[in-house]
Amino acid sequence: MVIRSKIGFVLILAYIFCSPTAATAFQSHPAPEGLYVHQLAHWFFILAMVMLAYWLQVNSFTREKGWRLIQVSCILLILWNILAFTGHWVEEMIPNTVISGEPDWTQRIVVDSVWTGLYYAFKLDHLMQVPAVICLLLGIRSLYKHAAREEQIGDR
Amino acid sequence: MTGNSYSLAPVWFTDVAGSALIILLSFLAVWYAVRLARTQPSNVIWTYLLWLCVALAGFAVSRGVGHIAKRFLLLMDMRDVWVSLRPYSGGINTIAFVVVASVTLFFQRVHKMNIGILKDKEALEKAGQEVMRLNRNLESLVRHRTEELSRSEEKYRRIFEGSMDMIFILDEQGGFADINHAGLEILGFQNPENFIGTLSLAELFASRDEFDKLMADLQSNGFVRDRQCRLHTKVGTEIFLLLSATSRKDSFGKIVSYEGIAKDVTARLHMERQIQQAEKLASLGQISTGIAHEINNPLGVMLGYTQLLLRDRAAGSQIYDDLKTIEKHARNCKAVVEDLLKFARSAQTKKSRVDVNQCLEEVVALLGHQLELDKISVETRLESNLTSVTADSEKLKQVFMNLLMNSRQAMSGKGRISVRTESDPGKAVVRVIFSDNGCGIPAEHIDKIFDPFFSTKPAGEGTGLGLSVSYGIVQDHNGRIEVESRPGKGSAFTVELPIHEDENMNSAPEKNGPTD
Repeated sequence: MVIRSKIGFVLILAYIFCSPTAATAFQSHPAPEGLYVHQLAHWFFILAMVMLAYWLQVNSFTREKGWRLIQVSCILLILWNILAFTGHWVEEMIPNTVISGEPDWTQRIVVDSVWTGLYYAFKLDHLMQVPAVICLLLGIRSLYKHAAREEQIGDR
Repeated sequence: MTGNSYSLAPVWFTDVAGSALIILLSFLAVWYAVRLARTQPSNVIWTYLLWLCVALAGFAVSRGVGHIAKRFLLLMDMRDVWVSLRPYSGGINTIAFVVVASVTLFFQRVHKMNIGILKDKEALEKAGQEVMRLNRNLESLVRHRTEELSRSEEKYRRIFEGSMDMIFILDEQGGFADINHAGLEILGFQNPENFIGTLSLAELFASRDEFDKLMADLQSNGFVRDRQCRLHTKVGTEIFLLLSATSRKDSFGKIVSYEGIAKDVTARLHMERQIQQAEKLASLGQISTGIAHEINNPLGVMLGYTQLLLRDRAAGSQIYDDLKTIEKHARNCKAVVEDLLKFARSAQTKKSRVDVNQCLEEVVALLGHQLELDKISVETRLESNLTSVTADSEKLKQVFMNLLMNSRQAMSGKGRISVRTESDPGKAVVRVIFSDNGCGIPAEHIDKIFDPFFSTKPAGEGTGLGLSVSYGIVQDHNGRIEVESRPGKGSAFTVELPIHEDENMNSAPEKNGPTD
């Protein structure tokens, strides 16, 4: 009795595997999803930087120069994220025809609307990001020097 | 709608240079963060910053490399390569965003953790400081108490060791647990190791009953005060101690030890006994002198008339024999009277420089045969070059003979008599010691042996004047005669004679009898 039921089970499984049809279980993810994920990641980044800047403030970390610089870095990164997010959005808005020439420094852009003007400006986002990273570096360096000095005092 | 055309060169250069700068700066930040974390490894905020910098460096690399790669691939007309790399670059860049943001959001958690750690650290430091403080206090307290204890111990140890009296501690069985130096000296021991833990007080007591009574009193009353005890030293010398002791009990009321102090009163007792003896004998001497003088004259008359009557009577007749008996007893009486006078120092002494050893040798030779017959051996240890003394040699011989005879009588059957002489330049005396292993003198008789007519022999076997006469003669020489005895073990008589005699060589008879 038991052997007969096992044989039946095996036969059913063999039928299922040997008769495939179209797989419809998963959803397809076309190209725009990448941009959306990237944009959401910018917001996530903004959220994280806002929180860090806020926590540094409420926890009185900013009384130290190093942490103050890190807080400034957070604010600059927030601004950069906003620029980048807006830049990506604006890039989608403007037609490809406004940019001409070979893809090198000789390329030119025709600023025929506010969007293209903004696009041009947002493309210079490194001018915001580099100072942000410089502030971060200076902040950490300041914290390191302070800690090293404390250690030296402690050693004495 | 037409507009102005602008060059994108600033964008191009800003993108490339900015990306490269960001990579460089972010790695510099990682480097500082590493150094910061190494400076204070226990600080989790620095660890957090290190992770944040690492994430940002990753982000900078993913983004910067992507941007630079795009610019150069397009520049080198490799659009296809860029198109195929672009999704990966963008994807990695997005992931880096998320990672940086995720790490950043851990700040508050890390901060709270750090606060907790700092609080714990502070609490630990406080506890450590408190422990250190307590430890220091404890150390100081222990040092202070130890010093106090040491001072106290030293003080009591000084009292214990410096005491001239015996201080001792007994265990619950009566064994010595500790004893001071004076105690050891009194009991004749040198080394405490051979004493403590091996001997018990009972073994030193002369009488077991006396010890049992002492312990019974200690157990019942908890103390004894000024109890006179008789003990034997290591060499067997008898000593008297005035002992006060207490018993110590544990919380259950069980006796755990006895502590006591004992004063050696042997010398004092001896002195008291000698004074009493001397006073008694002085009184007896006075009485004896009076009686002897009163009896001596009638006795002389009686003896004279008896001798006159004997001249007129033929020998062998009844009256002649009777008169002879009267004469014999009168002579006996006269001998007794003469002895009494010797005791009372009323007899004439003829003093000269005398060799005591020679006197002793003569006496021992005289009595040697008789002692040999009695199976008594005489051992003489005479100091060579013994200082001569000023004395009446005949009287000295009489003293030595009396003492030897006394020792002989103390023995039933065979025995041993030892005669020893020694000089004591410190005290300027010559000492003659007669010791025997006879029956000894009972304690109740020891004070009476120098009394005239005191004798333990049956009536008729002795006059009881031998030791009294010896005493009188020695006193007449300004010497001393002492006795030590242990019943059942023997006695020792010590005669001390002064080396220098200040008095006249021939002393006149004294009227007052023996004095101390």
